[in-house]
Amino acid sequence: METVKTGLTKRNIWKLLDIPIIAAGFFIILPLLGINRTTDFIIFCVFVLGFNILYGFMGRLSFGHMLYLGTGAYTITLFSEHVSQNPLLAILASLVAGALIGVILGPIIVRTTGACFALINLAFCQVGYFLVLVAFSRYTGGEDGMSAYFSKLSFLNFGNRYIVFGFVLFCLLLTYYLLKKFTSSPFGVLIRSIKENETRVKFLGYNTFTYKWVTFIISTTVSAFAGALSILNYGYATPSFIDPSRAVEVIFAALIGGSGSLYGSIIGGVVYMAISNYLASYVPRWEMFLGFALLVVVFRFRTGVWGFFMGLLNRKRKALAR
Amino acid sequence: MIQTIAYGLTIGGILYIISIGLSLTFGTMRIVNFAHGFVYTIGAYLLISALPFVRDNFFLGAVIAVAAVIPISYVIERFVIRKLYGVSIDYAIIATYAVVLIGVDLTKWIWGASPIPLSDPIGHDISLFSVTLPMYRVLIILLALVIFGALTVFFKKTIVGKIVTASLEDKDAVKSLGINVDKYFSIVFVIGSCLAALGGVLYAPITSVHPYMGMMVLLISFAVVLVGGLGNIKGTFVSAFVLGLVMAITGRYYGPAAETMVFVVMGIVLIFKPVEV
Repeated sequence: METVKTGLTKRNIWKLLDIPIIAAGFFIILPLLGINRTTDFIIFCVFVLGFNILYGFMGRLSFGHMLYLGTGAYTITLFSEHVSQNPLLAILASLVAGALIGVILGPIIVRTTGACFALINLAFCQVGYFLVLVAFSRYTGGEDGMSAYFSKLSFLNFGNRYIVFGFVLFCLLLTYYLLKKFTSSPFGVLIRSIKENETRVKFLGYNTFTYKWVTFIISTTVSAFAGALSILNYGYATPSFIDPSRAVEVIFAALIGGSGSLYGSIIGGVVYMAISNYLASYVPRWEMFLGFALLVVVFRFRTGVWGFFMGLLNRKRKALAR
Repeated sequence: MIQTIAYGLTIGGILYIISIGLSLTFGTMRIVNFAHGFVYTIGAYLLISALPFVRDNFFLGAVIAVAAVIPISYVIERFVIRKLYGVSIDYAIIATYAVVLIGVDLTKWIWGASPIPLSDPIGHDISLFSVTLPMYRVLIILLALVIFGALTVFFKKTIVGKIVTASLEDKDAVKSLGINVDKYFSIVFVIGSCLAALGGVLYAPITSVHPYMGMMVLLISFAVVLVGGLGNIKGTFVSAFVLGLVMAITGRYYGPAAETMVFVVMGIVLIFKPVEV
């Protein structure tokens, strides 16, 4: 019998401890991978979170999410070049840009579903890539990219690797916390219902368009946030931040982790980054390996690594209860 | 200007040959088949491998390349696509993309990653209405028309074509007549793949052959299919030539924007006519 749990039961404690656990996890892998790689991993996890809010929770697979990452990356770079070198203001600007692109493209994109949704995102990403690479190459530096410089803010000196690491980790935890609040709110329940059956949600009298649009804007904003953080880390923006052919990375990460789970997104991000960072140096034909791994995930582990372990755990728990 | 239009029609012809297979798998099986781009690439590579054996006879090489694609596409259908019927469309996208990753790596392994140029197999020019055009491009346009005619006859007159046309309308009704729809789908899949390989073969002399050549073409063919309507044979024909012209005319004024313009057109069309998938 499932009873309503109040106060600090055993399970609630685990749920409250998730943020310290994530933080501890990254501090554990920090000495193993070195500071640069760990920072990379964390930023990628932010991106996976932004992608998964759309894919895992609302059931819309976007094949062009690099566009929103690139929007953040180029906004922060251009902002630091032309307006102000204050890093926090620049990040704020790229968040606004990310939200804005969601507001503008949202009404066109969220009306579609399935393959059409994936491809129209891809098409817009292709347009964005072209704009950055060719049309506005005078401002973005084209293929060569451009560097970004940020001024010191009392203790926030982004020249120091450890400060960057701490700041980025803080950003990940903040994003995680906000998205957790978002997905467990009635709004979050509603977008999950849209994933299950949109017609029924409409039938209940909800205007699903607005909910989908808002979720889309949240997703683009978080993705732009990840883009801004990567520039903070690298200090250099190149068209690879908006390259449509890299879209599969984040999809794969979300799949490994298991869509529809925030924990899973972070695990998937870390696992994917580990694969792509280390596999390429050990396995010569790593693209082929990635292909077979994807096929195995699609045909065998639909719920991803995290979902697979949760399933095992639940089965054990049920067996024990019996 | 007439020359630009003629070039656009060439591109449109090739786009039609490639897109028709995509449109059919999309329309019949509701599967977004990224592996189509890989089949296109492999067609061009098989042509390169076949040419030395047939003393550089382009026609024979093309026939061999297209024939060799039949078993490859059957393997893809049997082991990947068939398992995806009725599964969520996201998984179909990811699984066929995985096939592309494997295929691209395989091509890099066998043929190397560097682009291979190929010369115009005919070389003659033809004068039509005071413009000179390479004979090869005129032949492509004619070939596209022939294929369009053949497919129209195929879908109107033959029993396989009729079953597929009926399943495009209502799959369950055809199934309830006791017809094994999936068997006919795999026939259509193989035909579509062969046409994609033919597209690769035809396009190879115009550009160079490299492992990633399929990706961009695939995206453009998706645009063709979405603009023309899923599984709509006539619509695909019209939209392929229209988008081919869009590419050629944009390319004439501002070269790098040619491919992007296709997506702009697709975006505009989708705004006014959302596709139900």
